Amino acid sequence: MSFIQMNHKSNHKLLQIINLKKYYPVTAGLFSRHIGDIKAVDGVNLDVNEKEIIGLVGESGCGKSTLGKTIPRLEEPTSGEILYEGTDVGKLDKKGLAELRREIQIIFQDPDASLDPRMAVGDSICEPLIIHNIGDDKKRIERVAELMEQVGMEAEQANLYPHEFSGGQKQRIGIARALAINPKLIIADEPVSALDVSIQAQILNLMMDIQEKFGLAYLLIAHDLSVIKHMAHRVAIMYLGKIVELANKQELFDNPLHPYTEALLSAVPSFKSKYKDRILLHGDVPSPLNPPSGCHFHPRCHRVLPICSREEPGLAEISEGHFVSCHLYR
Amino acid sequence: MIKRLQDIIKRASQHLHLNTRLINYYWQRTRRNKLAVAGLAFIVFLVALAIIGPFFTLDPTEANFEEKNMPPAGFVTEQSVYNIETDEVTTKEVHGTWKHPLGTDSKGRDMLAMIVSGARVSLQVGLIATGIAIILGTIIGVLSAYLGGWVDNALMRFTDIMMTFPFFLLLVLIIFIFGSNLAFIVLAIGLTGWTGTARLTRSESLSLRTREFVVAAKALGASDKRVIFRHLIPNVISLIIVIATLSIPGVILAEAALSFIGLGDPMVSSWGIILEAGQHSLNTAWWVAVEPGIMLFLTVLAFNFLGDGLRDAFDPKSNI
Amino acid sequence: MNNVILKVSNLKTYFFTSRGTVKAVDGVDFELRHGECLCLVGESGCGKTVTALSILRLFDSPPGEIVDGQISYDGLNLTNCSSEQLRQIRGKDISMVFQEAQSALNPVLTIGDQIIEQIKLHLPLNYSKAEDRAMTLLEEMGIPSAERVMSYYPHQLSGGMKQRVLIAMGLSCDPQILIADEPTTAVDVTIKAQILDIFRDLKTSRQMSTIFITHDLAVVAEIGDRAVVLYGGKDVETAPVSEIINNPKHPYTSGLIECLPDISKSTGKLASIPGTTPNPLKMPQGCAFHPRCPKAMEICSHQEPLETVISKEHRVNCHLYK
Repeated sequence: MSFIQMNHKSNHKLLQIINLKKYYPVTAGLFSRHIGDIKAVDGVNLDVNEKEIIGLVGESGCGKSTLGKTIPRLEEPTSGEILYEGTDVGKLDKKGLAELRREIQIIFQDPDASLDPRMAVGDSICEPLIIHNIGDDKKRIERVAELMEQVGMEAEQANLYPHEFSGGQKQRIGIARALAINPKLIIADEPVSALDVSIQAQILNLMMDIQEKFGLAYLLIAHDLSVIKHMAHRVAIMYLGKIVELANKQELFDNPLHPYTEALLSAVPSFKSKYKDRILLHGDVPSPLNPPSGCHFHPRCHRVLPICSREEPGLAEISEGHFVSCHLYR
Repeated sequence: MIKRLQDIIKRASQHLHLNTRLINYYWQRTRRNKLAVAGLAFIVFLVALAIIGPFFTLDPTEANFEEKNMPPAGFVTEQSVYNIETDEVTTKEVHGTWKHPLGTDSKGRDMLAMIVSGARVSLQVGLIATGIAIILGTIIGVLSAYLGGWVDNALMRFTDIMMTFPFFLLLVLIIFIFGSNLAFIVLAIGLTGWTGTARLTRSESLSLRTREFVVAAKALGASDKRVIFRHLIPNVISLIIVIATLSIPGVILAEAALSFIGLGDPMVSSWGIILEAGQHSLNTAWWVAVEPGIMLFLTVLAFNFLGDGLRDAFDPKSNI
Repeated sequence: MNNVILKVSNLKTYFFTSRGTVKAVDGVDFELRHGECLCLVGESGCGKTVTALSILRLFDSPPGEIVDGQISYDGLNLTNCSSEQLRQIRGKDISMVFQEAQSALNPVLTIGDQIIEQIKLHLPLNYSKAEDRAMTLLEEMGIPSAERVMSYYPHQLSGGMKQRVLIAMGLSCDPQILIADEPTTAVDVTIKAQILDIFRDLKTSRQMSTIFITHDLAVVAEIGDRAVVLYGGKDVETAPVSEIINNPKHPYTSGLIECLPDISKSTGKLASIPGTTPNPLKMPQGCAFHPRCPKAMEICSHQEPLETVISKEHRVNCHLYK
């Protein structure tokens, strides 16, 4: 059993996403007529268990970042439910939201942009403690020092400003900030894509250490399957706002069912890839404003059936824990 | 109450303390621009002049008709003198003396003293009026950007309406109605000059609002108020400093222009007032108009150079 | 080697800024042979982009300057030839495809206008012939409905399409050498695959000689023939790609290979290289990699390693192999 899997997830459901939709209305004309919607998230069902790492994979425009932002209600959901520990996030008032923000934290993609350039990094890390009124001045300084050491930095660097650090260091600071108030779930939105390869490995190792030490759950959003393969317990593949496949990690990589998953897996350049066997998808991802009829993937699918352009397949469980949304398996 | 005050002061000084490294960083970048440093030097000189100058000069209001229209030291002019007894007009030579190094005006008042007191007036007008305009403009701009929706719409339409009034004519109207008192002039300039700042701070705040660190702060649970005061405004401050520095000359010139057309406060000898009086005697006593003119020119240049230098220093993309 | 078409010898490009001298490229040697795909590999700050820019002298000068070295191409030394000669070469003999397709395309001109402008600059074709050529190129790049795309503006295209348009522009005048700066870095995995496919085709159909800049060793493994690994402005290892992957000599190269989260490898803790890439204003003494090197010796901290020849095609700069 691998290193990650030894750190077993529990079966306690932390987060339940039920038929979540997030549409951005598009208006045109003098009177802002509503002419359509960008269906960024179009009916997503997903569960995250305690201490579990879920990898959410998809290409640009598939809605994974939007999903990540909608869960803590940084974007308001259009419809559907987000149940955190049983409570509907969508119905929380301001006070409830503030409490929710203690439990769910976010790590952002661009370490340059996610830290306030005018605040010393120690202040940035301390901010969640101040917002939620935790501790007094002295205790906060201690906590900041503790957090910085946990992410592999020196406490003396707390007085420096973001521009004095490298990308990898800034990302560590972002992680320290997310950990400050002991969240239970961390949504990591492409945490390493902006970093160099040798630094990516450091940050990923750090994230795995922290997950193990503090028993956190992660929703790891990425477009790089190889990153996901190292860290996730279960993997969900997203395409144009919908989840097209969901399975345990090993099962997904050994036995991908959805044609899009197959294409993604074969597209990853690796030392042993036989590119002659590569599945090349034609064309580009269609616009979420005007998705294709039926199964959104059908125009690019290399195993398309006539029914695919007419009817949308739903997510169905094919084998235990392995869900696919595809007519090939119905 | 006392404790709150203590809290506020401690927070402010903490802030300042923590920010000295940042201030130093920007200062290093500004220093590399020679013109900006020259501008800053002149402004410092001007401030010193305004504060301690009056203690060393003669009384600018003391009229002395014996010594009227004397040229600056080292110059020699001719004046025509009307001898009331002989009904003759003769010319006599007048030499500048060091008692009045910059000469005197038509009422015999010392030019140097008047220039120095004018410096004080111009700086006061510049700083206070700009201060009012900047604070008003920033609050409107940042609130508008952050709250969005109908508040943004309403505030911006109001700004548009204010902008359609020609700034200077509006000023003239206000002064005309309320009287030409220096305080009113300052207030009027401040209350009409905020629109540019509002627009600029709004657009900057709009772009900041979508930056990840603002989203991050909200994700941490920060309230709207906290996001505005702790994140948006400090990041807009560099823009505000540049706007302020570049607005001050405009304000000073506005006051001078008001005085020039006769709407200035006659109780105060600002440069504009001196200029206005001097325009009538350009032939005979050119220094009365030229000296305040030169001071205005240099002051405007100095603030503009400094403002440009600061803008380049704050811009992360300019590689200084 | 008489099929060497470009040879870079001891190239040094420094940037003289008010904060100090940035030695972006500090002694780089490599040669490009006809029909091969040479990869310049390294992380941010290693000098690979500046090396490419130096070939066509495309950096801002001041503050940048080529202080030493030679770039031999077609009998000329590109480091000191006249700007007129350089302008003739740019786009026509040596062409460059940039990384950020967003910013490399002019947002206010149509795609057609931009490609045709480039064509007419170097080739004596009239407008309609240039237009035909442009459309043929777009089709060759796999862009559907090329005629419609010619009238599109950059913002109407997706990232992958923009990148393909850039490559088409690079090829428009049939250059001998194509320099591609991280063309697959900012795009999605499936588009990456399409673009790598294009580069592979170029090699077979046009015998294009390519300098391919990337930080992704997996990409190097896929399309590179030979690779030059750069660190701290210097080349640390040069070898055919199969050698680099299977038999890396320099500790940085082997470190890079190990930290790739390779999809075919088993899971576990990732190997990583401790520390961060060096600050170009404050390069470490001696070997630039020694603070992070697991095999660093005493000599590494004060003496720069010289080149060691491992085999005919494999060179390394490391004290371990003296």
